[in-house]
Amino acid sequence: MKLNPMDLYNLLPKTNCRLCEPKTCMAFATKLALGDISPDKCPPLLEPGFEKNLEKLTELVAPMLSAESTGIKLDESKCTGCNNCVVVCPVDVAAEPPTSEGKAAMSKDTVFRVENGISKIINLEKCRRFPPDKLNCRVCEQYCCTDAIEIW
Amino acid sequence: MEDIVCNGCSLLCDDVAAGVSGKTVNSLGLCKLGHMHLETALTHSVGSNEKNLEKVADILIGAENLLLYGWTHTSNEAVREGLGLAATLKGKFASSTDMGAMKAMAHSIHSKGLEIDLEYVRNNGEFIIYWGADPSESLHRHPSRFAVLPRGKKIPEGIESRTIGVVDVRQTETMKMANHRLIIHPGSDAELLNIINSELEGKSSIKGTVLGIPGSELVGFISGLQKSDCTVIFYGSGVVNSGNHDANLTGIAKLVEALRSNGKEAYALPMFDKPNTMGVIKATLTGKYETNSLQRLVAGEFDTVLIVGEDVLANLPGPVAKALSNTKIVYVGPPGGLTDNRALVSIHTMDTIITGLGTMTRVDMNDIQFKKWKPSKEDVTIISTLIKLKELVNKKKS
Ligand code: SF4
Ligand code: SF4
Ligand code: SF4
Ligand code: SF4
Repeated sequence: MKLNPMDLYNLLPKTNCRLCEPKTCMAFATKLALGDISPDKCPPLLEPGFEKNLEKLTELVAPMLSAESTGIKLDESKCTGCNNCVVVCPVDVAAEPPTSEGKAAMSKDTVFRVENGISKIINLEKCRRFPPDKLNCRVCEQYCCTDAIEIW
Repeated sequence: MEDIVCNGCSLLCDDVAAGVSGKTVNSLGLCKLGHMHLETALTHSVGSNEKNLEKVADILIGAENLLLYGWTHTSNEAVREGLGLAATLKGKFASSTDMGAMKAMAHSIHSKGLEIDLEYVRNNGEFIIYWGADPSESLHRHPSRFAVLPRGKKIPEGIESRTIGVVDVRQTETMKMANHRLIIHPGSDAELLNIINSELEGKSSIKGTVLGIPGSELVGFISGLQKSDCTVIFYGSGVVNSGNHDANLTGIAKLVEALRSNGKEAYALPMFDKPNTMGVIKATLTGKYETNSLQRLVAGEFDTVLIVGEDVLANLPGPVAKALSNTKIVYVGPPGGLTDNRALVSIHTMDTIITGLGTMTRVDMNDIQFKKWKPSKEDVTIISTLIKLKELVNKKKS
């Protein structure tokens, strides 16, 4: 499941009051979509008048805050080979550092590698959502503009 | 696998590799567009061209009003050779770049010093704006290689260290990565630029909804601009082909100047999709260049057109394509396509991605050198054909 930061943004107070750590509502929404922050970190949302918004947001982001059951799927028919996933995946960056500077993955050590114009998951087991890391990472899904990557 | 350079679009990716085994080609790093381009280029079979060279030379010599056209898919060296051939034949040299305002635009951007190296954008670009440009449609690797996702010297966390803005008339896929998404009414770019510019000058006027954008979003976008130490605007066909390009480009240039006068860095770069648009522009900044070629084609001023490297008939607007089909067309370039089919005589050549020879110019004016790799067939390039043609023409003339 992937959340659209715009939908989350529309449920925030949209005042850019700077009381939260990300400072703006849009930045807050982006972090919410990634599971990097929880709705209760926005103080105005806890005030009267926003109960419904808070409830809806909490419900929407609940799956984002857990990495319990996980799977990751890449729909090759949607993929444009943009290399976004290669460049943002922290495993790729560690396995082949030039990818963090935008270079294509050439080794066999990354999670993603774009082959024949399409991204392939070549080392699924290295994804940090799986043991031993079990981290709540989903940046590849977040920055895949064509929605080819799905994490659940 | 060997290192190659892709000319599937104007990014000219040079961090990619490919290898051929039997009838299949495998690639690493090329986007879908690039891989498809490579596959197509490998299917081209090019035979002997000697007879057709003679025929083409005769047609060119016999032409009363000759136009040499196309070029945005050819190397810089071929463009230079083409300019020479045009001079020998006293023909007019023009390229598909002067469609819309591309050339004027690149000139004004260049003369105002608005452009910047894409590597510099990667290392320093803090506020990135795609204006009327959707890289997920044509320049697939633009965000991952240079502008949005990669880390750089002053961008330690990649996208987390940048702010991304997208201005477009509709929802685009690139908007999914953006912090600021401004969906505007079609044709209102110049007006929006004026509003932003006067805000930056301190003349606050934003109230309620502006050109379809909620006021608070626009204010957030402008305060992002004010905070950014290095802003880069990538503008595309939405700005150039909206019929209002002069005002749009002036607005962008003004915006860049306004940010600079506040002591910040700011730049603007075009998003061309044809691989060597910038090379043609660069080569013709000083050379002889036909600027009204499309109008003159429609007016029937040319009796013969030599089209080089590009299937222009497939891309030109209807009336121009119609006028073009009424002239004698001779074609030099990869086989296949409408132009090749309609041509009186064609000389087939290998694509630059296969020959690996010469340079093309990236949108940031950097020349990218192609790389030789195994399946290269040097003898059937556009440049060698143009050289032979020039020799033949000179021989026949004397
Ligand atoms: S605290 Fe809430 S309202 Fe204030 S800026 Fe953050 S998200 Fe927006
Ligand atoms: S979810 Fe896994 S594959 Fe995706 S970016 Fe994170 S570590 Fe990489
Ligand atoms: S980010 Fe998505 S579209 Fe781009 S290469 Fe990866 S899977 Fe394909
Ligand atoms: S982005 Fe352009 S140059 Fe790069 S691989 Fe894709 S088509 Fe080729």
